[in-house]
Amino acid sequence: MVLLSFINPLSEEGQEIVKEKGDLESVFSSNDELIYIVTHDKRQNIDDDSLIPESYGDLAIKRIQWYIERKNNKDFNNDDYSYLFNEEITEADVISFHLISQAIATKLNPNSREARFFVESQGKIIEERLVKLPEQERKEIVNRILNQLIFQENINWKFLKELVASKKISLTDLVLDEGNIILDKEDFINRFGDKFKDRAPDRMYEIIIGDSIKELILTKMIMQNTENYLQKIREMSSKIEVHPAISELSEKIAQSISELTSKYSGFYGVGGSEGSMKIGKLIKEAFPPCIATTVEGVSSGGRNDAIVLLLTSFVSYARLYPAIFRNEGVDVKVSDIDPNLTITLNEILPLIYEAADNCSPPLFDDQPQEKINITSKLGFGMYENPELDHEGETTWYTPMSCEKIKMHLPQLCRPDKLCAKIGNPLSYYSRAKWLMEKEGKSANSINSNNNSNGDSKNNNNQ
Amino acid sequence: MILGISSKNSYTYLWHIYGDIIFKTATLEERRRYYREEWSEKDLPKFITDELRMREFGFDHLGHGPNDRYKVFKGKDSLRRFLRYKTPFAAYISVAFYNNPRRRGDWLKSEYVFDVDAKDLPIRSCDCDGVCEICLSEALEIVNNMIDTLEGDLGIKKIHLIYSGRGYHIRILDDEIMDSDSELRSEILKYVAGAEVPKLKYGNISEGSGSSYNFEHFSIPIAYPKVFTKRIKYNIQHLKGNEEIDDINKNLLKDIIKNRDLLDDDQWGIFRSKIGPRRYKNMVTGMARVNLATIDAKVSIDLKRILRLPTSLHSKVSMKCVEVKDREWFDPFKSAVPKFVEERK
Repeated sequence: MVLLSFINPLSEEGQEIVKEKGDLESVFSSNDELIYIVTHDKRQNIDDDSLIPESYGDLAIKRIQWYIERKNNKDFNNDDYSYLFNEEITEADVISFHLISQAIATKLNPNSREARFFVESQGKIIEERLVKLPEQERKEIVNRILNQLIFQENINWKFLKELVASKKISLTDLVLDEGNIILDKEDFINRFGDKFKDRAPDRMYEIIIGDSIKELILTKMIMQNTENYLQKIREMSSKIEVHPAISELSEKIAQSISELTSKYSGFYGVGGSEGSMKIGKLIKEAFPPCIATTVEGVSSGGRNDAIVLLLTSFVSYARLYPAIFRNEGVDVKVSDIDPNLTITLNEILPLIYEAADNCSPPLFDDQPQEKINITSKLGFGMYENPELDHEGETTWYTPMSCEKIKMHLPQLCRPDKLCAKIGNPLSYYSRAKWLMEKEGKSANSINSNNNSNGDSKNNNNQ
Repeated sequence: MILGISSKNSYTYLWHIYGDIIFKTATLEERRRYYREEWSEKDLPKFITDELRMREFGFDHLGHGPNDRYKVFKGKDSLRRFLRYKTPFAAYISVAFYNNPRRRGDWLKSEYVFDVDAKDLPIRSCDCDGVCEICLSEALEIVNNMIDTLEGDLGIKKIHLIYSGRGYHIRILDDEIMDSDSELRSEILKYVAGAEVPKLKYGNISEGSGSSYNFEHFSIPIAYPKVFTKRIKYNIQHLKGNEEIDDINKNLLKDIIKNRDLLDDDQWGIFRSKIGPRRYKNMVTGMARVNLATIDAKVSIDLKRILRLPTSLHSKVSMKCVEVKDREWFDPFKSAVPKFVEERK
């Protein structure tokens, strides 16, 4: 029987393993037992030494590597990481899971891409491990873990509201009745048996719910619990000194992720704040539909929010600091990038004012006070024009998410294909720009823009 | 249907009586009469008077919007005195509860609200400029469907329905939702409104773990697909043909209307084949948008909004904002017309 902690490293059993065998002194020591398991796995590719994790620390890095490679490498060979799906590795895997958690929580930001990759990789590992189990065993372990996670027969969806709010699970994918998530076959047939006219209810149960919804809930709950665990370690870490091995591991994880992402996608940038601090002229062809529409002018009803909240923040960040969401937690001001406000006054504000003028009726005609609000959203307090002396009196607002735009300004949301992949207009812009550069479509215009961009380059170096 | 033909007839009758005198802006004198002679603190719903002092009040004295905000009342008496003395054009109360409502400080929790305004319905059978008995009754049918989903599917309790004067507010005081953030609220909204096209693919979630099946929303008579099917059936049956809906062009709209009788017997399969699978996909996408636009979604995700105070006067249309006790048979022309309007006759 598979150990529960093979699927859920946060289970009590997993914690026992860490207590017994987790030793911070030996994070990077060669571990014969681990090497033996890896090299004796039937499917494991062992003709390259670099494929074999020799220590718990190595294994921790490989876990995330597997996820990024699998997602991006066209020639990916799962047999290079076959050991990750071998039950015998459970103990070492649980220890490496807790090591990554500590390394990320104590040294990196909880919203960092390292944390995100770790949580996502955990979800994928669970899915693949479940797929590889024999059917009966898979059913059994899913039920056992769910019983531990949920404790009760009928789960109310509100028990999972954290998962719903963070969009790990969509309410629309669940079968809900009187607030309960219906998972049990008998319960399903009792409640809905008479609703199916042309199809057998038990067959429909297998298709609509079956094991897939249970596995979805289980996977997402463990991902959420991993996030919560990171948060908990972070809160505790302020009181204790971080072990050097953990610091070393966190550096290695960050480095490995940085290398892999830059290898596979120019979109992620070189990594690190310097790499993504590049600024360039605004490329209107890369604007998402909502912004393009706003620039052309909005009719009364959504005018104020579209110009003051959406466009102002979008244009300023797109022009000055498009990488804001990749470097969350970084405290950045307009003047860090545009020290004399040359770009803000000559490029950003004119574009916003022009869009305001395109509105019907023109925004400032009846609401001149909105100029003050625009200044305020750039972080320069409540004044008609931005001045360095007032910087910091208010916050430089980041653009609202697509989700918020849909709710606040539904008339602007006319998604195109690229929109499906992103959650914020700013990410759309970065991605579209990157795609255009890749396809060479506007390579010339980008280059010429950069060439004529002496001011901002100088500013950036100051 | 919430309103049978007979009740619609009675509406029409009342409409003829009131049509030219109701929906006119109330004069200062009429507001005075309302607050001094008709308004009573006993009519304030209990969910409003409980913890009254933790809510923010806002007032519009001149009809220019609620610019007198951050007001706090210790109890019903002080509120009564204020209303009698000031006879405001409009009165509002926050959905939020604060430890320090005067500064909107120390937020504790917020009601969860659905705002359906009859005049903003993207699909409605009438041609009126503002609101009339037809769109008001359609707004009621829509909120009733939503409440059925909130209670039946999501098991949400403590739901109050308020007639706001020109539409309806569903106000929810369910403890577990009140302390939740905008993200959760927008997820619930999508389910209840039918704002997302249901998934097509069912079966195993992971690659390589068995087969999956495609099912259109109408093939699954339970859960979210059922909600979605019901919402778009309602939309299709209320189309007039002059609507402008993204993803649904004029020809498609025409064909939808031409074939909609098939939906009376839920013959969705035939309906879909008449429309054609690609155009059907466009229709479904367009209808999901209509569903979202039926509700003023920014009200639902706003944790600090102020809403019209039940019992107060909607002076612009001379109607009372009242709690709806019997949501199946509520008739605003019987329950929400202030006495002074009757006397305008």
